Amino acid sequence: MSPLKETNWQKVLHFLENNTVPVLFLVICAIGIPLSGYSASYLAQEVVVRISRNAFLIIALLIPIMAGMGLNFGMTLGAMAGQIGLILISDWGIVGIPGMVLAMIISTPISMLLGWGCGKLLNMAKGREMVTSYIIAFFMNGVYQLVVLYIMGTKFLPIRSSSLVLPRGYGIRNTVNLIGIRKSLDNLLAVKVFGISLPLATFAVIALLCIFVVWFRRTKLGQDMLAVGQDMEVARDAGIRVEHTRIVSIVISTVLAGYGMVIYLSNIGTLNTYNSHSQIGMFSVAALLVGGASVSKANIGNVFLGVTLFHLMFIVSPMAGKNLIGQAQLGEYFRVFVSYGVITMSLVLYEVRKRREKSRVGRELAAGQTAEEA
Amino acid sequence: MDKVHISRKIWIRLAVIVAILLVAVLMFLIGKQHTILLDNKTLEFGGETYKAFSIVEVQVDKEEQLELAARDRDKAVVTGQRHSITVLYMDANYEEIEKTWKFSVPLGEDMLLLSVPALVGGAEPAIWLTHYEPPVAAAAPVSEEVVVTEDAALLGDF
Repeated sequence: MSPLKETNWQKVLHFLENNTVPVLFLVICAIGIPLSGYSASYLAQEVVVRISRNAFLIIALLIPIMAGMGLNFGMTLGAMAGQIGLILISDWGIVGIPGMVLAMIISTPISMLLGWGCGKLLNMAKGREMVTSYIIAFFMNGVYQLVVLYIMGTKFLPIRSSSLVLPRGYGIRNTVNLIGIRKSLDNLLAVKVFGISLPLATFAVIALLCIFVVWFRRTKLGQDMLAVGQDMEVARDAGIRVEHTRIVSIVISTVLAGYGMVIYLSNIGTLNTYNSHSQIGMFSVAALLVGGASVSKANIGNVFLGVTLFHLMFIVSPMAGKNLIGQAQLGEYFRVFVSYGVITMSLVLYEVRKRREKSRVGRELAAGQTAEEA
Repeated sequence: MDKVHISRKIWIRLAVIVAILLVAVLMFLIGKQHTILLDNKTLEFGGETYKAFSIVEVQVDKEEQLELAARDRDKAVVTGQRHSITVLYMDANYEEIEKTWKFSVPLGEDMLLLSVPALVGGAEPAIWLTHYEPPVAAAAPVSEEVVVTEDAALLGDF
């Protein structure tokens, strides 16, 4: 028997170590659900709604992880593009599924352009992609505000609807009513199972995206991305256009984020013009990490586990806080700091795990060498 | 002069872009929402008088059936350009008559006025379906809306 073979206890510890965040969230939810007093059917309905609303956005994060670019906080750029599409279709009076499709088509070139720019910048900041994309999102938020607040409604980008334009005559109002497309996709094919409404059309769109991601991994470009994600230098030696592949991964992620934002906002029914996009990257990343993903490894299973656990915590925490100490506000604070906390914890754990893995490999090599010498 | 060679890849890309643009135009056409004001008022046009019905039932497409008394006005919100309108009214002999017409809404129009008496009276479409501009009431000056951005909120604390 090898001296390095794991005992059962070590296996359990190893499992807990690899799944610290999901296990922690399971514990939080297990404590929070009874405290909240919500019924199982209510929670199930809420989780179904949250999955249909958020899953597309979170799946948009998978492709850059494949290419070794970490968590794409720059998905906010795609969200902004989606919002511009939604503002325009609201002004033109295009409603229902055609409105959503048109908003997605409008967002596509904007997302591609922003994604390409973001990818170019990230190539200049290799190894620091996450923090760079985070700051790019802040920078582009300023540009978005400039366009929406000062250019929309002028002769350069006319907006006719007085319900969209600020009283001063240009710039978009704080909120845009998306009643024309609200729940269009969800209600297209909704069935009730045990009293829970399932938006099958939205799930079909999400399933199509999942199939796309699985198929994409097997394509030449997908394999190139995996190779680039493993080792850029080896990939370059193998003739892969590393920089181009990385840019394509960011472009795809940004475009998908734009589509995801259209689905997300159509479910909510209201667009907060200047705020809706700002937290979307953060919460999507947090949900993915809660599902057990890491900076370098994520799959579709992580998306669904993450969105379920993360949003379960989101749903139960205000009521749990209220029932526990009589203040719902505590739960609100709790869910915000947990979101940021989980990202911090995941990043730290990733580094710790990487170092441990390195030292484990070193120990194995040393043990092998000793055995050979003996 | 050398011929410019366009590769198959570029042709495919161009075809995809054209297809997407066509889909966008199609979505615009089928998704455009219009408000049709259904008007049951006496209309005089070109020496003809189209008298209002004392009571009439109107249905646009498969929307809710609306009952209009004389001088009543209601609205139907429709999507797309081609629609049908069904009018149920009583003639001079108190016989119930139901008639259906098909009509198209101009793409650029957000709001139209449809005169039911003129429609039933056999007037030209340009008479019974006209552009409508909602009246702008004299209102007190609107106070400027404060735009709330997270950045601005953060700067406030700085």
